[in-house]
Amino acid sequence: MIRDKTAIVGIGTTEYTKNIGRPEFVTALDAVSDALDDAGLSPSEVDAIFKFEDQADNELEMARNLGAKNLRVWGGIGWGGGAACAPVIHAAMAIASGMASVAVAFRARNRGSGGRPWGRTSMRVGRHGAFEAPYGLISPVQQNAVMARHYMHEYGIKPEHFARVSVSQRQNASRNPRAFFRDPITVEDVMNSRMIADPLHLLDCCLETDGACAVVLTSAERARDLKQPPAYISGVAQGTGSQHYMMTPFYKDDAFDLPNVYAAKDVYAMAGVGPQDIDVAQFYDVFSPLVLWQLEAYGFCGRGEAGSFVEEGRIDWPNGDIPVNTHGGSLSEAYVHGLNHVLEAVRQLRGTSTSQVADASTVLVAAAPVVPTSALILHR
Amino acid sequence: MKEQRMIAQRPMPEITELTEPFWSAAKERRLVVQRCDDCETYRFPPEVGCYRCGSRKATWATVSGQAKLFSWTVAHPPLLPYFQEHAPWPVAVVQLEEGPRMVTNLVDVPIEEYEVGMPLEAAFEEIDDEVTLVLFRRRQVEGG
Repeated sequence: MIRDKTAIVGIGTTEYTKNIGRPEFVTALDAVSDALDDAGLSPSEVDAIFKFEDQADNELEMARNLGAKNLRVWGGIGWGGGAACAPVIHAAMAIASGMASVAVAFRARNRGSGGRPWGRTSMRVGRHGAFEAPYGLISPVQQNAVMARHYMHEYGIKPEHFARVSVSQRQNASRNPRAFFRDPITVEDVMNSRMIADPLHLLDCCLETDGACAVVLTSAERARDLKQPPAYISGVAQGTGSQHYMMTPFYKDDAFDLPNVYAAKDVYAMAGVGPQDIDVAQFYDVFSPLVLWQLEAYGFCGRGEAGSFVEEGRIDWPNGDIPVNTHGGSLSEAYVHGLNHVLEAVRQLRGTSTSQVADASTVLVAAAPVVPTSALILHR
Repeated sequence: MKEQRMIAQRPMPEITELTEPFWSAAKERRLVVQRCDDCETYRFPPEVGCYRCGSRKATWATVSGQAKLFSWTVAHPPLLPYFQEHAPWPVAVVQLEEGPRMVTNLVDVPIEEYEVGMPLEAAFEEIDDEVTLVLFRRRQVEGG
C-alpha cells in the first residue's frame, strides 16, 4: 500500500503556445528544471525519471542534461492520454518501494507546431487498425465520435450537453493567464463551430498547443521539510477492464464498461474516500464527452445522467457540486496529455489556482477514460 | 496539357497469418468471424485467444451477415488524402446478429437516414486482388 507515503513537492511548466520555437526535449528540460526549483531540490538528487511512452525523448537524455548522478528507476507508460496520471503513479511507486528518493515525471508536446500523429498513418495498417483504417476510422476524434453518438442514442443526450463542458471550462480559462484560449464562449458558439467528426464540433476538441509540464515527487517524510506545502498521494490506480482495445471500446460486449470504471473503484478504495469527499476534479478532456463519462464512472452521477448534470451547472466553478478542470483543461488551457491537470490539482491544494475552490483538501485527477487509464487522489 | 493528379491511396489492411481467413472469405463474399471452440463466444477483431475463457481453440464461422447499426460518425477535413477527396466521409459501427461489432461503411444509405438500430446486411466491395472490404447495406425486405 503506497497510500500517503509520497507527495508531489514541485510542479513546473513552460509557456503554452502555438509554436514554442524550441524542440520538445528542451521544453521538457525547462519544465523539469522549473519543477525542481519549485521544490527547492537539486537536479543532482534526481534518481528516478518517468515519461509517457509516446514521448520521443528518453530518460537518459533527461538524466544527462539535468546533471543527475545515477538513475535507480525509470520507465515510460503507454496508451496516450490514458497515461495522464501514470508516470506520476510510477514515480510514487518507485519512492514508496524504497528504490528511489527523488522522482521526476514529465510530458512535453509540440502538438501545435509538430503536426498530428494520425497524419502519419501507414498505408498498410496492422492489428485491429486493419479492420478500421480502410473504412476511414483513423483519428481519436472519429473514434470518440462513434462512442459519443451511441451514448446520445442510449441516454437521450444532445450535442448541446457536450458543448456545455467546453463553455464551463472556457469560463475557468478566462481567469487563468497561462491558458491559450481565454475568451468566454457560449453553447451556440460551440454548436456553430465547424464539424470535425459528427457529433463533435471544433470547440468540443482539445487545443493543439506546444508546451511541457513536470512534477517532482519525494517521500512524505522528506516533503514536510521542503519549500512547498506537500500534495500527498493517497490513491493511485491504473485500469483497463477486459477485452479492451486502444481507443475503440465499442468492440467490448458493453461499450461503456470503460477502463475508468475499474480505475475509479481502485483509486477510491486505496485513498479510503468516495466521490462525496472530492472537492475538485481534473478530468481528461481531449473531447468534451469524455468529461461526462468521467463524471459517471467516478460516481458524481449515475450512468447516462451526466448530460443533465452539466446542463444544471453542477461542474461550474465556484458554485457547482464538483468544479471540473479549474485551469481550463485541454479544451482551453493547453494540451499536454493531461499532465497539466495534475499540476492544477497541486495548485488547488496549495491554494494558488486562479479558480480556487475554497478549502480544497482532496482532489481527483483522472486520465482518458476510453483507453488504458490512470487516476490519482491527492490531499493536503 | 493534361492535368496531372496524384491518386490518393486508401489505407489497406496488413494481412497476417491470423487475419488471412477473414480476407480470403471476404474475397468469396462471405463474412466470417472467429468462434471459440470451448465457450462458443464469437469474437472480432481476430485474436489468438478468447477474451472470455482464454482458450486458443477457435474456428472461423460463416455468419449470417445480418446486423444493426450501432453508431456512426461523419468525418470532416482535415483527413488522410483519400478520405479528404471523398469528404465528408461517413463511418459506421455495426453489431452482427451473432454479437461482435465491426467498423464498416454503409452502401446506398444517405447520411440523413442513418439511425441507430437500423437493420443491415453484409455487402462486399472488391478493392484489388488481395482485399475485398466488408460493407453493409440496408437489409432487403423479406417476404413482402
